[in-house]
This record gives sequence, C-alpha cells and structure tokens, in this order.
Amino acid sequence: MVLICGTIPQEDFPLTIGQVKFSGKTLIINEKEVSCMQGTAALISAACITAEYLGEEPPQALLAGDRGKGKGSRLLYEYLSKNLPDLAPNVLVLHYILPVMGLMRKVSESAEKCRRKPIMIADASSMYAAKAAGLAPNFDIFTPDPSEIAFLADSDATHPAYISRHLFNSDITKTSELAAKAYQDKNAARLLLVKGSVDHIVEEGKIIETISEPDIPELEAIGGTGDTITGMVAAFVSAGLDLREAAILAARANRMAGKYARATPATRIREIIARFPDVFRENLCAWSGVCYSSDKR
Amino acid sequence: MAFGINKKDGFEGGGLILFRNVEDAIKAERTLKSADYMVKLVAPPPELRKGCDLALEVNLVEQTGIERLFRGKDVQYVEIIPRKGRGELLEIVKVKDFGEAVMVKAGNMKLTFDKTSGVILNISGGGCPDIPYLHAELIDKKLTEAVRPKEKGFTLCSLMLDRAFCESLELWSKMRL
Repeated sequence: MVLICGTIPQEDFPLTIGQVKFSGKTLIINEKEVSCMQGTAALISAACITAEYLGEEPPQALLAGDRGKGKGSRLLYEYLSKNLPDLAPNVLVLHYILPVMGLMRKVSESAEKCRRKPIMIADASSMYAAKAAGLAPNFDIFTPDPSEIAFLADSDATHPAYISRHLFNSDITKTSELAAKAYQDKNAARLLLVKGSVDHIVEEGKIIETISEPDIPELEAIGGTGDTITGMVAAFVSAGLDLREAAILAARANRMAGKYARATPATRIREIIARFPDVFRENLCAWSGVCYSSDKR
Repeated sequence: MAFGINKKDGFEGGGLILFRNVEDAIKAERTLKSADYMVKLVAPPPELRKGCDLALEVNLVEQTGIERLFRGKDVQYVEIIPRKGRGELLEIVKVKDFGEAVMVKAGNMKLTFDKTSGVILNISGGGCPDIPYLHAELIDKKLTEAVRPKEKGFTLCSLMLDRAFCESLELWSKMRL
C-alpha cells in the first residue's frame, strides 16, 4: 500500500486518512473533495492514475488543511509518529508538510519501528526537512529540481532560499558535481531523480541514466509537474518496479504527457494528468519491457 | 549533524532572531508564542551578537509569517538569520523567455506571466504548504492587481515567490514602455 502524506490549502480541512478515488477533476477521500491542483493533490492524482493503469489498488492518503501556518502539518507529523507501525505502508511519500526537523526525526524513528520499513520517498518541503535534520540517508528517493539539488549540495543550508549563490548559479550540466557533493555530505537519498531540462537519475552518487526526450521546456513553468513525477514513481515502486526503473519511467511519462497535452506556459497540471492514461497505453509496454493488465485488454 | 544542539528538547529551528535589547527579545517571544509559533530563548553566538545577550531560535522556514507578525505587533528586532551557513537570502533571479510568456525564477520558485496582458499564467517549484494556496490566489490575475505573495504567505517559499513576483512586475513595467 502507498501512503501519501501532505497538506491541502484549506484551513478547515480536518486530518483525514483513507483510500483515494480520482474522478478526473477532483480527488475524493472519505467523502471529502479535493481539487486536482498543484501540490500534494497533483501527486495523488498521478499516483491514482498510474495505480489504476497497473491494476493496483488506489493509494491511501493522509491529509490535513494547512495554508502555511503549520497547524495541519503538525497534525500529520503527530499522526505518523504514533501510527506508522500500525499503518505499515510498503511505500511512504512525504510531501507538502511544513519542515520541522525534530518532528521529521520522530516520523523517521517511527518508520524504523515498522515490521518492514517502508520505501521512503520525500519531495518538496519534506525533502527540505529530511535533509536539514540529517535524515537524508534514511530515505530511498528524493526528487529535487535544479535549485533543490543545489540545496542538497550545500551542507549548511536549511532551505533553498539560503543556498550559496554559486550553487544557485550552477546549471544542469553541473548536476553530476552537485549530486556527488550531496552524497559525500550524506545529504542525499539512496536514489535521486533530478528534474530539469535533462532529468538525471543518480544512484549512490553516480548518474545512471539521463532523460531528455521529448524536450518540452514549457513543463518547467507548469505548477505541479514535479509533483506528478513523484506520484508516478510511488505507484510504480509500489507495483514492484525497482527504484531505478520507476524513476526512469516516471520521468519519461511526464515528458510525453507534456507533449500529448501540447503544453504551453499556461497549461494547468490537470491537463497534463489527463494525458497519462494515453501515455501509458501507448508507451509503457515498450519502455519497460513489462506489459501490464491494461495492455492486454 | 546540522542543528544538533537542540536535539534534547526536540526543537531544532535552524533560524535565529537577533535583538538590540532584552525587552525586545521578551516581547518577541511572547508575541510568537501567542501566535502558536515554536520558539526558544537562546544565547546567540558571540560573533552574531547585536547588543543583546538573548536571541530567539525559530523555525527558519517560517520567516515570512514571523516578519509580518512583528510588523503588525510593532516588535523590534535586528534580523532573522540561519544558524549555519550564509546569512543572506538568495537575491539572484533568473529569467527564461518562452516567446509569448516569461518565467522568472527566484530560489526554488518560478512565476510565469503573459507578455501581452501581464496575467500570471503559472507558478511552479517550491513545496511549502502556503504555495498551493498562493497558486490558487495568483493564477489568472494581472501582476498589477495581484496581492504580493509575502503579504499572504508564511514561509521562505512565499518569500522567494515574492522575489519572482517583484522582478516580474518590473519586467512587465519595462515591456509596456
């Protein structure tokens, strides 16, 4: 089971856990509706579509309302710290949660108490918290963008807003050096999927794959395109793919969805997400060498 | 280990607020606690002291909300800085031209606007909980009519978005000349 944890930008959205249904425009969890928009909602939507295509059960989500004050985020940390061993997910995704280092440490300790430790994926602010708290090596996958790989390479920084200027100025050609520095300082997860004009898959400090086609520069401008990659990775890993293959497929599928959607800088993330079923149906079997149930129908 | 000094009591904020005198520090602590911020009185490292032997450790990522709260409550302070590393916020911005639209990047945040209308087309990057809210608030609004991200946001992501917003506004103003 995949458990995706994050906040929803509604202050009155209570702490909610349950299996998610995706209608194409909205997510439904315990009869509560969440719009498919940038952030954790986009991540869950992509995970739902991927799981459905693979014939897997939909992900579970743990959500709380938070517009940045941190109240909902603290509820998520507390719930996970207490209940993670009983929930026993095989994949745990931590996403838009206000970074609080001490509370992230408690969640990490709770994950260690699971009978079988979940595959740990962190993106966005949860990745900031994991790195700043010195917990990065406890995670299996981080999905940074170019500014965030610079952040991981800056061992002193607690947030990308305070990274060194020369690191922020590094372009995508420096990914190898930045990733090596992040691993050297123990600020990287086991695998990094560095999202950019060229996507880099990095394992234990070494670039093992790059993905640059199709080249859709407009994807960078569209809010949520990083979230969808992480959602797909989680669903692929939960279905049994290894981390490396899951990351490669997710990066490829995201680009192809951008192409299918004829992405422009004004495209909304739900338009990209809507293309995933076609992308999977037409490409996944050839890309992965493994054809899933939907291909056979 | 980063920020390990406070591991015992479970609070590791990563940010320090510096003051000129003890009265300001006490008032700031009271103000932050009443607004539910996690905060701890600490002694600032000697090299960072600005006249006061007390500082407040706060969660650095909450800098934007804290600064707005202090403005509203007339709390005096010198500055908010990271405990480690660079003490200055990233000032640099990058611009990418898509033809009909321009994307401005500041730190981990990106704002894209239409060159003809000045309408905000998209916001991407980042990952703090205030960003999806700001995304919904700003999209489809003209740069000249939208609220500044740092007036609505609480985190460093919103502060970076504010940088991108201000640069976009400046670029848009020049385009209209």
